[in-house]
Amino acid sequence: MAEVELRAVTKSFGKVAVCKGVDLQVADGEFVTLLGPSGCGKTTTLNLIAGLEDASAGDILIGGRRVNDLTPFERDVAMVFQNYALYPHMTVAENIGFTLRLRGIAREAVRQRVAAVAESLELGPVLHRVPAQLSGGQQQRVALGRAIIREPQVFLFDEPFSNLDAGLRIKMRAEVKELHQRLGVTSIFVTHDQEEALSLSDRIAVMREGRVEQFGTPAEVYTRPVSKYVARFIGSPPLEFLSGRVESEGGLPVFRVGAAAFPLSLKTAERLVQGGQNCALGARPEHVLLGSSGIRATVRLAQPVGPATFVTLSWEGGELTARVPGMATFAAGSAVHFQVDREEHLMFFDDHQGRRMAME
Amino acid sequence: MFRRRIGRLAGRSVVVVGLAMFVLITVAPLAWLAISSLMEQQALTAKPPDFSSSSFTLANYTGVFAAAAQLGQGFANSFLVASFTTAIAIAVGAPAAYALARLSIPGANAILVMILGTQMLPGIVIAIPLFIVMSHLGLVDTRLALVIVYLSFNLPIVIWILRGFFLAIPPGIERAAAVDGATTAQIFRLIVLPISLSPLFATGVFAFIESWNEFFFALILTRQSARTAPLMISQFAGQYQTVFGQMMAAAALAIAPVVALAILFRNMIMKGFAEGMVKG
Repeated sequence: MAEVELRAVTKSFGKVAVCKGVDLQVADGEFVTLLGPSGCGKTTTLNLIAGLEDASAGDILIGGRRVNDLTPFERDVAMVFQNYALYPHMTVAENIGFTLRLRGIAREAVRQRVAAVAESLELGPVLHRVPAQLSGGQQQRVALGRAIIREPQVFLFDEPFSNLDAGLRIKMRAEVKELHQRLGVTSIFVTHDQEEALSLSDRIAVMREGRVEQFGTPAEVYTRPVSKYVARFIGSPPLEFLSGRVESEGGLPVFRVGAAAFPLSLKTAERLVQGGQNCALGARPEHVLLGSSGIRATVRLAQPVGPATFVTLSWEGGELTARVPGMATFAAGSAVHFQVDREEHLMFFDDHQGRRMAME
Repeated sequence: MFRRRIGRLAGRSVVVVGLAMFVLITVAPLAWLAISSLMEQQALTAKPPDFSSSSFTLANYTGVFAAAAQLGQGFANSFLVASFTTAIAIAVGAPAAYALARLSIPGANAILVMILGTQMLPGIVIAIPLFIVMSHLGLVDTRLALVIVYLSFNLPIVIWILRGFFLAIPPGIERAAAVDGATTAQIFRLIVLPISLSPLFATGVFAFIESWNEFFFALILTRQSARTAPLMISQFAGQYQTVFGQMMAAAALAIAPVVALAILFRNMIMKGFAEGMVKG
């Protein structure tokens, strides 16, 4: 086990800069996710840590040792690849034991360790099949087994579940989390699936255009996103932003978005005015409460998803989504009232730069 | 709806007719070869040829077998030269192709263009210099000379074809092996080669057929002991008269191994070339 540190790491392919100075500190035993849309540099960052790509500049440290010039094997990392990358001509047992065989470990010792790993992953019955004869989930487990048997300092995962169907994805997610709890090996996981990131990670690094935009716990990036970019990327459905301005209504400060006026405390109003009056408001659906008082709106759309129903509310000049527990029915066009439960759940962003405006 | 069906039908007919013509053009000479190898000289040279049942005979084949000692030597030479050429072309070409496909070699593109460039010269241009070089080396009328010359045109093709195959292998597998601790040589030997058997085989068959059929350089560089099957077959023309039937019988025997090879391993060959076609 070891901590992993990236210091101002850059990577360019020809003239295209993919990583533009990535700083990251992963503690010993921590599970960190690199999250972002395709092309944000997350997989390249992972490849740099693995040693599959050479950094253009900056330092990569594993266990306090600079590893820039070491081969992937010398870095003592194991990696699970997006398309499993199993060796198609080898059986499951040979796939898992390949790394030990390369190290010249005796056949019998290899067999025993492979059997133990296969046991823990419920692969015992398929040890003598080749990958083409396995289901997607089994192939993924073989890929995990190949990583586990190494007993490496760091696990690297490159979108390992992207080829699995939704149900299997959730199951494998739980398996990986349990695996991490059991082995406690430092893990870095790349995904573009925010739900996967939230459910697995100790901390999430949200990446944008080759840099880390925000690095924090799942709760931090969800409740206190540093920018519109992070706020929109984390959470489902994606956050909507409402442009508006601070006004006074009957002597009390409000944030006005079209016909809707969100009440503000004097302190918040002052902060917003100091930061320039034009800003954007965002509120998570679970903090938008329907009730008999508050702002008037009409129901545009109701989407029940099982445990909750997402209700799109619209008014002249704005739109917001509320989350109502259970399978609720709403007639489109019906009139409702809503409010945001607590002022701290109103997230304000600079309308131009997209940065979160500090309220404390 | 109806018009679309008509359109699809028309499109399909064009494809079918085109393929039928292609097959006809490819198969006709072979069919003619087979038929004429079974005909008597007189019936064959009559105008028009006499296709009555009395003109068919196995005499041509028995005639060829009568000259078997000589022809057998030619077949043996062809087989040895083609086998060695193929083995060396694959053994040298596969690592070269892999290096050009995957390693960051300075000037790799220039090397590839140079390899391709060797294919641009017509054989006749290098025939005389080649003969002079070979005679200085004392290699005229040796099988080694043929192997060297055949390698010079088979190796570049093998490298180009195999490079395409190697590029089509998803790089994740090789990366996984690198993380597992394999060196580049181990990745090539333990991962890439075993999963490339079909393409390697298909390319090998291709090189073998090229060498087996070669006529021009064999004509120039051999006299007696190293003469190959195609040269032996041509001998049926002109010694005293052109014995068409026997010539055709010998030719049928000469193409038989190659055709057998292609039929026996057609699945592997098809798979091999199909794998190379699918990129990414």
